[in-house]
Amino acid sequence: MDQFEMLKAWAETNVETTMFYFLATVAIPLAYGVILDKTIIRSGFILIGVFGSICGFFLLLQAQFLALAQLMIYAVGITLVIVIALMLTNPRMEKSQLSNATPANQLGAFMVAVGLFMTIYLSVRPENWTLSSEPLDTNNVEVLGRALTTDYSLPFEFASVLLLAALIGSVMLAKAEKPSKPGEDDYEYTVVEDGPIAGDPRQDREPAVSKR
Amino acid sequence: MRNGAEILKLGTLTLVWWCIIFGAVWAACYIVGILIPMALTSYESDAARMTAETCRALTPILSVLVFIPINAMFMVLFERRGLAIFTVRLGPNRVGPDGYLQTAADAVKLLFKEDITPRGADAFMFTLAPIVFFAPSIFGAMPLLAAVTNYHELFQIANLPTGIFFILAASSVPVVGIVMGGWASNNKYSLVGGLRSAAQAISYEIPLVLSLVTVCLMAGTLDVVQIAKQQSGGILNWNIFGGGALRGLDQAISLKFSSSAPALQELSKSSFEQVLKSVYLEPTAQALGLGAGQEGLAGIIAAFAVVLLIGSIWIAYGLYMTGACAEINRIPFDLPEAESELVSGYNTEYSGIKFAIFFLAEFTNLFIVASIAAVMFFGGGDCPVPAWLGTALGGPQIASVINQALTPLIEIKLVDPPTLFATIWVILKVYSIVFFAVLIRGTLPRFRIDQLMDFGWKRLIPLSLIVFVLVVYAREFVNVHVGT
Amino acid sequence: MLALSLVTRAKDSLYQICRGLKTVAMHTFREPITQVYPDKMPDTNIRGRLALAVNPETSEHLCISCRQCERVCPDKCIEITAHKSPETNKLELIEFKIDHGLCMFCGLCAEVCPTSCIINTNDFEMSEYSREALVYDLRKLTLSQEESRYYFDRKEIPLPKPKPAKAAPAAAGAAKPAAAGKPEEAKSESEAKVADAKAADAKDAKEVKQADEPEKQTAAPEEKEETENKEGSDKSKD
Repeated sequence: MDQFEMLKAWAETNVETTMFYFLATVAIPLAYGVILDKTIIRSGFILIGVFGSICGFFLLLQAQFLALAQLMIYAVGITLVIVIALMLTNPRMEKSQLSNATPANQLGAFMVAVGLFMTIYLSVRPENWTLSSEPLDTNNVEVLGRALTTDYSLPFEFASVLLLAALIGSVMLAKAEKPSKPGEDDYEYTVVEDGPIAGDPRQDREPAVSKR
Repeated sequence: MRNGAEILKLGTLTLVWWCIIFGAVWAACYIVGILIPMALTSYESDAARMTAETCRALTPILSVLVFIPINAMFMVLFERRGLAIFTVRLGPNRVGPDGYLQTAADAVKLLFKEDITPRGADAFMFTLAPIVFFAPSIFGAMPLLAAVTNYHELFQIANLPTGIFFILAASSVPVVGIVMGGWASNNKYSLVGGLRSAAQAISYEIPLVLSLVTVCLMAGTLDVVQIAKQQSGGILNWNIFGGGALRGLDQAISLKFSSSAPALQELSKSSFEQVLKSVYLEPTAQALGLGAGQEGLAGIIAAFAVVLLIGSIWIAYGLYMTGACAEINRIPFDLPEAESELVSGYNTEYSGIKFAIFFLAEFTNLFIVASIAAVMFFGGGDCPVPAWLGTALGGPQIASVINQALTPLIEIKLVDPPTLFATIWVILKVYSIVFFAVLIRGTLPRFRIDQLMDFGWKRLIPLSLIVFVLVVYAREFVNVHVGT
Repeated sequence: MLALSLVTRAKDSLYQICRGLKTVAMHTFREPITQVYPDKMPDTNIRGRLALAVNPETSEHLCISCRQCERVCPDKCIEITAHKSPETNKLELIEFKIDHGLCMFCGLCAEVCPTSCIINTNDFEMSEYSREALVYDLRKLTLSQEESRYYFDRKEIPLPKPKPAKAAPAAAGAAKPAAAGKPEEAKSESEAKVADAKAADAKDAKEVKQADEPEKQTAAPEEKEETENKEGSDKSKD
């Protein structure tokens, strides 16, 4: 009879682990893909996949709200902005133009990576965490809201200060320049003397025309 | 009514297609969700039980998978015929009886067309884009399914405690597909279409989400089933009328209606006022800390708060519809696929089944957006007639007659009356909203991209924030969703 | 102040949108102005493809090779080949080609035609499998007697004067009745009365040639046939 029950029991214990390994095997190659893909826009899209699998991890941890926020804000919003920025700023970076790193650079990068890994590992290693056996509140949102406005209100406020700074910075960057008053920017109106100017494309074209 | 014939034709077409769509979905759900498990109960083996469980669990997704293609076919036809009526034309009427099969023929044609990948395109991304565009609309519909079927036991599995947030997250993903397809096509028009779409979606998602957050704030939950349930009991309880801000009025009137005996008239009159007082005056007085003698002031403030709440929700609804139109790239926000500027935008290079998937997803998104509006603002599967008016009109008798007529069907579990009625109301509401979207499409011209951005960032987002704050305050003085 | 103006503007624009929606919604109740085409043929009052009429009574081709249509055509889709008959010293139509792929159905040729020969018919169903097939030659263009009568009646064009009766003095050797092959008997015998004078003048019709003169007398004021007729009769031909 208890094939069914057994299956159920197996599912309850093992599905999460299986899913975790599955998601990990998706996430890690994708993360490598982000740095290894030579087409930079494509690595932007791969980044979306990485964030999507991280969203899956959150779902496994029964943090539904966080998972959805991850999907909505990181996987879609922020990464899309990154992709758009790439499209607007770096239109044609072909493989040949990307220079290979020198050995010194590679060594430096390796050191930084190891240092970063050690830092993160030391801070999140298992000994620092206690496993809680009490069931998770299904009403995630309420718990999160309470935590953010009581225990963690200071970090929350700091995060908003950071966002404010970013906002002001972007406004400063995007602000339209004032129309210059007459006489202020005289150099814009200076008449260019006749004669060859360095870097003037016309300079190169002129002889060709006369030759013909 | 010189156009009566055409209107009648559109009406019959709609009814026939509704019968086809929902008949198919109903049949699929019945067979997989009820018939097969019922047949399997006679076997006492584990495999049978497992199969039955799996069938029941798969019913929601199966219903969505059956529903989406047929519904998209109908909606394209509905839109074309509706637009034809608005633009004083006839519309497609050659294929099948009076054009009923036009879109079916189109779909078949698209399926058999050659699937072309342009030279220089990123083939993998090019193929992935329609999938990324389409898949979320399947998932996004899931929590709604529980809400619109009145929490039928087969669809309870689809419900989530973070329902509306899940829908919003799912509906924000398709834009990735658009950008991906636009970039992978190796075509300028596609790329510009994709970029526009991304900019537009990111900008308009904010007012969209904020307007829905306003509703969630009023309801006090993110669960769509609960939001739909709170609004039950007639049009005055719907969120569009302040989410139960008028419930006190509703109760008072129903009290007046229920006591028809003349001896009770006096009593009911006094209780009428009592109900109003207890529902409106007392919370306000309590919130403001007013004493016993200041009922006039409390009354004014309560009335003001109710009006403010209803007005805010109307604005929130307008914001939602605007943001939703922009989210799903419909006119007047169809810049990503502006024919006159960008050939066809992000799907310029697509043909065959990939284009069909794009097309399908677009109309499915329209349907999902309309159903979100129906559930969040218009009471989900709730009958718009208030209970007291329904009683006066003989609603219970009609209901019992229908129940009697359906008894044989109910016994074999083919029909569940609450689900049936809820579904009918939802269908009517959703397609009214779709019809309104078609009307908008027939009326408004397209935005220019800078106007679009101006409108989104400088008008809609501040307005949605204002509405949010207003609702926060108004809710303090009005007993929203009292008694739930 | 700013907020107030914003509110006013929002109110106004909402009102305008609602007005637009109402207008469009009201269209629901209007009868469709389009028709179900193959079931219901369109009105006969259209400018369809071009054709050359014959005299409804005598079945004699009306074209006098004056080339006014060729000259006035904005698309230059008409190509007339004519030669001067050595016997009669009159223009003789050899070939008449209209490229309906170029034609925009403006009707100017029908307007200037002195003999009401070239007319717009009701026919518009002329889809073909190739562009070349849209170039109609004289044979395809010339209408039968009955068709010509129909169009003359419907367009209320006065019937052309029976030329053959007066053409006796001309004593042309041209075969009047359209023989089996090509109805190319588009001879204009009675030029004395009919006005091919202008056209002939303009061309200095001497040599037999293709109509490939680059001259463009686009703005030549063309009168209606009747006045032209008079003028033509006033002016004696060269």
